[in-house]
Amino acid sequence: MSPPAERDLLALAAIAASGVALVSLLSAASAPAGSSGPRRAPRRIRSGRAATVKTAQELNRAAGTLAASVLADSSVEHYRGSFKNKAMYTPLAVSALTLATSIHGTADMRPFAHKARDATYLLAAATGMIGSGFHLYNVGKRVGGFSWQNVFYGAPIGAPMAILLSGLLGFCSERVREAARTRPRIFGLPAGRTIAAVAGAGLLGTTGEAGLLHFRGAYHNPFMLLPVTLPPVGAALLLSAAAGGSGRTHRFTRGWMRVLTAMGLAGVGFHAYGVSRNMGGWRNWSQNILNGPPLPAPLSFTGLALAGLAALGLMRAHPDA
Amino acid sequence: MSGDPFHATRAHDGRAPDVFHPGGWVPMRQYRESEPVDFAIVGTGAGGGTLACKLAEYGFSVVALDAGPYFRPLEDFASDESEQTKLYWTDDRIVDGANPLQLGGNNSGKAVGGSTVHFAMVSLRFRPEWFKSRTLLGYGADWPLDWREMWDYYTEVEQALKISGPVTYPWGPPRPRYPYRAHPLNGAARALAKGCEALGINWTETPLATLSAPRGLAHPCVYRGFCISGCSTNAKQSALVTWIPRAIAAGAEIRDLAMVGRVEVEPSGLVSGVHYHRDGVWRFQRARNVVVAGYAIETPRLLLNSATARFPEGLANSSGLVGKNLMAQSNQAVWGRLEHEVRSYKGPPSLAITEHWNYEDKGKDFFGGYSYMSQGPLPQLWANTLFSARGLWGESLVEAMKDYNHVVGLRIVGEMLPQESNRVSLADEVDQYGLRIPRVTYSWCDNDKRLIDHSLKFMSRALEAADADDIWIQDDDTCHLNGTARMGSDARTSVVDADCRSWDIPNLWICDGSVFPTVGGANPSLTIQAIACRTADRIRALARRGELNAAVPRQTSIRQRSTEVHRS
Ligand SMILES: Cc1cc2nc3c(=O)[nH]c(=O)nc-3n(C[C@H](O)[C@H](O)[C@H](O)COP(=O)(O)OP(=O)(O)OC[C@H]3O[C@@H](n4cnc5c(N)ncnc54)[C@H](O)[C@@H]3O)c2cc1C
Ligand code: SF4
Repeated sequence: MSPPAERDLLALAAIAASGVALVSLLSAASAPAGSSGPRRAPRRIRSGRAATVKTAQELNRAAGTLAASVLADSSVEHYRGSFKNKAMYTPLAVSALTLATSIHGTADMRPFAHKARDATYLLAAATGMIGSGFHLYNVGKRVGGFSWQNVFYGAPIGAPMAILLSGLLGFCSERVREAARTRPRIFGLPAGRTIAAVAGAGLLGTTGEAGLLHFRGAYHNPFMLLPVTLPPVGAALLLSAAAGGSGRTHRFTRGWMRVLTAMGLAGVGFHAYGVSRNMGGWRNWSQNILNGPPLPAPLSFTGLALAGLAALGLMRAHPDA
Repeated sequence: MSGDPFHATRAHDGRAPDVFHPGGWVPMRQYRESEPVDFAIVGTGAGGGTLACKLAEYGFSVVALDAGPYFRPLEDFASDESEQTKLYWTDDRIVDGANPLQLGGNNSGKAVGGSTVHFAMVSLRFRPEWFKSRTLLGYGADWPLDWREMWDYYTEVEQALKISGPVTYPWGPPRPRYPYRAHPLNGAARALAKGCEALGINWTETPLATLSAPRGLAHPCVYRGFCISGCSTNAKQSALVTWIPRAIAAGAEIRDLAMVGRVEVEPSGLVSGVHYHRDGVWRFQRARNVVVAGYAIETPRLLLNSATARFPEGLANSSGLVGKNLMAQSNQAVWGRLEHEVRSYKGPPSLAITEHWNYEDKGKDFFGGYSYMSQGPLPQLWANTLFSARGLWGESLVEAMKDYNHVVGLRIVGEMLPQESNRVSLADEVDQYGLRIPRVTYSWCDNDKRLIDHSLKFMSRALEAADADDIWIQDDDTCHLNGTARMGSDARTSVVDADCRSWDIPNLWICDGSVFPTVGGANPSLTIQAIACRTADRIRALARRGELNAAVPRQTSIRQRSTEVHRS
C-alpha cells in the first residue's frame, strides 16, 4: 500500500474510533449507581422509577450525541463561512452547552428534572428554530432564490434542525425523569410514544438532508444510498410503535435502531474516506475537511436511533407510556 | 517527474503513462508497422481520442498518433500561466484576411488529448434546429444527421465524461439529467445571473466537463481556475484522462510525439497508411483505414499535403471544399467593474451561461445564435487583454491591474456563417518537419458583424443591470475552429458523408471539428465527441455488413483484451 493510502486509512480509523469513543463515553457516564455523592439515587427505588431514570439518561445521551454532531459540524461549516455574521457563533456555544448538559444528565441518577438542564434544552430548541430561519433566509436571498443551486450550496436548511431535535429530546428526558412516581407523560401525551414519534420524524428530516446532499454528490458511491433507505424504514417502525397498542415487544424495531446507530458511526468513516478522495487526501486535511463531506453529520442518525431505543425501552417498562 | 515529454516519447515498449498515478505506467498493446492495423488515427483530441476508444472497445486494432507530448497532468502541469503555454500548437502558420485569426492558446492544442487538455470544459448540446439550419432557419447548410439520433449520442458522451450540470436545463427538448450536479457559482457567475434576472431572460449553471464529485481515480474540482492552462488535479474530464485510458485498456496503441506528414495512397485509390515523424526519423504505419482528426487547420493541411498525381488537389477534395468554409466562433466580451470583490478567477472560467439568444429567434437582425458566459481570466491573460484590447501600458496598466479582483466579464460564443472564402490553404514555407505550413484566411461577413453587435449591446445592458460600472467592450476575439471538411449528403457539396467517411476514398475518414457544416452558438466539443461515438457505431455496422476495409472485429471482452495487452 502506498504511504498516502496508509495515512488515509489511519485517519479514517482514527475518526471512526473517536466517534465510537464519544458514544461510549456518553454511555459510560450512565453507568449504574454505586457511586457516592450528591447524584446518587434515593435508596428505595421502585422498578418504574429506575426505568424512567434510565430512559432519561439514555435520552440525555441521544441529545448529547446530536449536540456533539452539531458542535463539530457548525464549527467547521461556520469557520468555512468565516463567521461572517456574529450570530454564527451561537450554535457553537449552545451545542457545547447542550453537550455538557447532556453529559451531566447522563451521569445523573436522581429522579428529578433539573432546572438548568431544562433551560439549556429549551435554549437549544429555540436556537434550532431561529437557526433554521436564518438558513432559510440565507438561501432565499441568493440570486436564483430557492433553486437547486442554492439549496445545495447555500446554508444547509436542515442542519439547525439537529440542535432543535437535541433540545427536544433533552426536554423530553427531563419530563421522563421527573415522572418517576407517575406515568411518564409529555404535554399530557404518553412519553414513550411521543419520543418515538419525535425520533421518527427526526429520522425523516435527517434523511431529507442526507438525501439532498447525497444527490448533490450524485450518489457517486453506492453506499451513499444507505442513509436515504435505512432511516425511513426506521422512522416508519418508530411511528408505528408510537401509534400501536401496548404489549408489543418491538424487537425488530430495536434491532433496526441498532443498525441505524451503527450506520451513523460508519457514516463518519465513509465521510472520512470522502475527505481522502479530494486532491491531496488527508495530507491536505486543513482544506479537504472543509471541502469534503461533513465528518460529524452522520452522527445525527446515531443520536436519533439512540433516542428511538430509549423510547422503546420506556414503552417496555411502562406499557402505557 | 518522469522525463521531458517533449524530447522523449513516453508511450512505447508496451506501456504508456498512467495519468492517475505520478510516475505510474499502464500496459499498452503495440502493433507492428509492417502489418496493417484496422485504423490509424491522426490526432487524439475530442474527435480522434473518442473514436480510438470506441473502435478499440469494438475490437478493431487501432493506432492513434499525436504530434504532441503525452502529459501526466498530476506532475507536468504547474499553476503558472507562462509555463503552461507548452500546451498550445504554436508551430508556424500564416494568417491573413480582413479579420485574421489570432492562433495559439485560444484555439489549438498539441498533446495526447488534443485541445481538450486545456479547453474550458463547457459541454453544450446543439439546438436541434441547427442540424437543419438551411431548411428550418434559412441560413448555412443542413447536416446529414438527425438531431434525435444525436440526442442519444450526446447522452452517451455526457455519461462518459460525467458532465456536471443543472438539474433541469432551461432550453431545448428534454434531455436526461446530467450525471453530476452543477458546481457552485462564483462571483462572476452570480453577476451573470443577476444581469439575466434583471433583463428577464433565463440563465443556468454551465454544464461542465469537470467533476463536482469524485470519480474513479479522479478528484473533484478544487476551483482554483487553471482550467485553460491545464488542470493538474484530473478533475477536468479531458480526452487524456477519459477516452485515452479506456482506449489503451481496450487494446489501442497511442503514439506520442508522432507528427503525421502524409497519408499514403495506393495505385488502387485507397489509402494504405500514414508517414509519420517520430524519434527523429520518418516512419510508415500500414493501415486498412486512416482517420484524420487533427482539428480544423491541421486536418485540411494534412489532406492537402498528401496530394498525389491521382489526387493533385489533395485527398478527399473532388468537391474542392477541403480547407474551405472554415468557421471560427465569435468570442467578444464586455467587461466592467463591481464595487464588491468578484475574484472571477476562482473556479472554472464559465460557471454560468445563458443560451437565450440561441433559442430565441425574435428580436434578431441576424441569422444564427449566441450564448454568453461569465468569465474568469487569470492575471497574465487579463494583463494581456488590457494591453491588446484596451491599449493600456505602463502606469495605466498597473493601475488597472489593481482592480483585478473587481472585474466582471461576459463573453459570447457566437455563430459565424460558413463562407468558402474563409479557408485553410498551403503556404510555400515549410515547418520543422519540412511540411508546407497552413495559411489561414479569415474575414467576417455582415451577418457575423450584426451578431457581434447585437451581443455586445445586450451584454453591456446585462452588466449595467448587474450594477457594473466602467463598462467597455473587447470586440475582436474568436475561438473554436470548425468546418474545412464539412459533412453532407451530396459528394459535390461536402467532403465526408454522415458517417465521416470521405466521398472520394472509402477507407479515408475525417472525425473532428472539421466536419461541421455550421457551428451554432454553442461550444463544439460535446458535438465532436457525439459524432465520434456515432461514427464508431456506424463503422461497426458497416464492418458487420462487409462494407469496410477491415477485419470484422472479434467480440472480445475488455478483460480478455487487457490480458492480450499484457502478453503482447
Ligand atoms: C482554450 C480553449 C478553450 C476551449 N473551450 C472549449 C469549451 O469550453 N467547450 C468546448 O466545447 N470546446 C472548447 N474548446 C474547443 C475544443 O477544445 C475543440 O473544439 C476540440 O478539442 C476539437 O477537437 P478536435 O478533435 O477537432 O481537435 P483537437 O482536440 O485539437 O485534437 C487534435 C489533435 O490532433 C493532433 N494533430 C494535428 N495534426 C496532426 C498531425 N499531422 N499528426 C499528428 N497529430 C496531429 C494535435 O496535436 C491535437 O492533439 C476550447 C479550445 C481551446 C483551445
Ligand atoms: S478549477 Fe477545477 S477543472 Fe479548473 S483547473 Fe482547477 S481543478 Fe481543474
